[in-house]
Amino acid sequence: MAKESFDKEIQFLRLLALTGGGYDRQQFAGRLGISVHTFDKTVRRLREVSGDADFADLFRYGYADSAEPVLLFLYRAKSMKESESRRLPILLTALRDNPQTAAELLDACCESLPLDAAMPDEKTIRSDLRYLEEIGVVRREPGGRPYRYVLNNELTDCLSRKELIDLYEFVDIMANTQIPSVQGYLLRDNLKKALRSAIPEDEWNDGLLEPFAYKYHYDARILDEAHLYTLLSTIRRRRRISFQYFSPKNRKSYSAKDTNPLFGRENEPRREATLPLKIVYDHQYGRWYLIGAASKGRIVKFRMEGMIEIAEEDAVPEPYFAARQEQLEEKMRYSWLIDTGETVTVRARFYRPLDGQADFIEERVRLQGQWGEIKEETPESFVYEIQVNGVTEIRPWLRGFGSSCEVLEPADLRQSFIEEWKEIGDYYEPSV
Amino acid sequence: MNHPFEKIFSYQLSSRLEDTGVYTLTSQERAWLKTMLDHPAAAEALEPRTIAKLRECTLDDETQDFAGDLLQKAGSRETQVFHPLLAPIRRILRHRQGITIQCRTKKGKLNDPQLGIPHKLEYSMVKREWYLHWYNTATRAPMHTRLCHIVSVEEDRMARERYEEQAARAAKRLSEWRRHEATIEVIRIYNAELTRILHAFSCFDKRVEFDEEERTYRIHLTFTDSEGQFVLTKLRFLGKRVRVAEGDYLKWRMRETARKALALYGADAEKVQAEPRGEAESPTPTASVPVDRNPA
Repeated sequence: MAKESFDKEIQFLRLLALTGGGYDRQQFAGRLGISVHTFDKTVRRLREVSGDADFADLFRYGYADSAEPVLLFLYRAKSMKESESRRLPILLTALRDNPQTAAELLDACCESLPLDAAMPDEKTIRSDLRYLEEIGVVRREPGGRPYRYVLNNELTDCLSRKELIDLYEFVDIMANTQIPSVQGYLLRDNLKKALRSAIPEDEWNDGLLEPFAYKYHYDARILDEAHLYTLLSTIRRRRRISFQYFSPKNRKSYSAKDTNPLFGRENEPRREATLPLKIVYDHQYGRWYLIGAASKGRIVKFRMEGMIEIAEEDAVPEPYFAARQEQLEEKMRYSWLIDTGETVTVRARFYRPLDGQADFIEERVRLQGQWGEIKEETPESFVYEIQVNGVTEIRPWLRGFGSSCEVLEPADLRQSFIEEWKEIGDYYEPSV
Repeated sequence: MNHPFEKIFSYQLSSRLEDTGVYTLTSQERAWLKTMLDHPAAAEALEPRTIAKLRECTLDDETQDFAGDLLQKAGSRETQVFHPLLAPIRRILRHRQGITIQCRTKKGKLNDPQLGIPHKLEYSMVKREWYLHWYNTATRAPMHTRLCHIVSVEEDRMARERYEEQAARAAKRLSEWRRHEATIEVIRIYNAELTRILHAFSCFDKRVEFDEEERTYRIHLTFTDSEGQFVLTKLRFLGKRVRVAEGDYLKWRMRETARKALALYGADAEKVQAEPRGEAESPTPTASVPVDRNPA
């Protein structure tokens, strides 16, 4: 079977998550570069996976109501043959309590499957067991043939009820505050079931499942984890990759394969090739970047959300890779995000709040100012200084402080702040 | 290799297993947990005995050491992932009981102990800090307190009926929490930067509308009082790319910011008297804020 790709679903969900479901079908399909018909088909499929009838409502952001990662269902989209989706639950249920051989499992299937269903043979059961063992879901008991297998749920079985609650809350916190988080969210879902079976009905309280809330989260970040492990693995194995790239400035974020060859050439997006060196997660926007080396060692940067149809290419010799990575590390030492341009010194004066309020300005500068340092402190203000590659990436952060921040150097940054504040002021003049 | 798209995670399978109580744990989930156990927060959140058991169970699961290949940039310093008060407060929440809580103000003054109903624990990804939302039974005000300002919190035992009655009142007050609406317009020449702009607002309740005729994107935001400051920070962060189209308070604040910033640079001296500073991020946006983040 051809490898299933989720590129379309990922682009689709990102657009939905970012826009809060506000586009109409036509606008939506246009932006994804697909027909309205394909759009409807994708909606039907995702609706089935998410089990939610009111699909667009999922994306009305409601962190206050729930810490559930709404986009996690993407990772539940891998399809299964109908026969397999009937057989595996029987096997897993049988393997829960007692170790079983393949022959015993075959009997269990024959007993439980409806009469009109196609009966599996022992070879199929063995291949199921191989798969389940490979992904760590079952383990083989010690001893000779015939081998016995059992569900590998030691992790939850060995814990007391209190420990299980502690673990659930720990996983909840870590999945929500650390990256990567998809596996953590999947584990969290399974621990929910573990809690359900460990806690008697009369002591049950739904509050157990949502112990905490998280504010100012970038939900769409988990969509890019779909490519994360593929890319990390190519970095580790020093392999080049090729892929189709949709720059974020392009209006379309996906393009259906053309079935009409007449239009094929014109619409075919260019394939890019690169040697992946590093992945960067940007907390400012909740976005992911791939940094790579192109020919002649030139450093290239891609937004991970624009990359689809990633294919592995040849490996490069270790010394070549090491040299590229070292060069990149040198160049990125002063990147606020990923800028590898010329290093400049930025100095800015921050004004403390008036009226004897607690000094949230300094607190925020210390919290978010990365490697910059605070110099020249007075009771009213302080000067912050940082060496940074270019001013483009630090600019929005400085501007975010509004009139509590005065850029001192470089002079052209100072000048451009003056111009920008004038322009912004004009937006709100009564005549406008 | 870890690949999050596994058959075992399929919705077809999980929906069939739903009522059986059977669940599965994969190596990749255990490997993720194993990595998280190395985080300093693990030792604060879990007992040593639990950690030892979990380590034992994850011995055979191969973790990927990607620390060097995966960089995180422009995040807030991670000052706090776990807080020692989380466990006792969670316990009180599970027991459905009230609290006696004593807090310090931001300036360090110690307040008298107060009675209340805990509502929820919330982590801010921006401040990297935990907060307790609770209801002050004496003043009937919803409160929002940083855990680091709480000196002590103890269970205030009450009968189930009394708790339910108080909790319902608290929930009602908390749901009445004022919601504001505003419309942000993307300045047309920056339409190409739309995804960046949408990302910046993606942590809010919002709906995006595209006006085909004017080729203009409008973002309709809904936010509470306590989120208002962060909306403002985001607006300043994006600068001239966006304009508040509807929302008088935000418009006024943006106009004031621009005016004061220009005064700071001495760039608009005729219009503005020297008025150097201070409005950027006052933690309470208006006088009418019902939520006291700094309980008095």
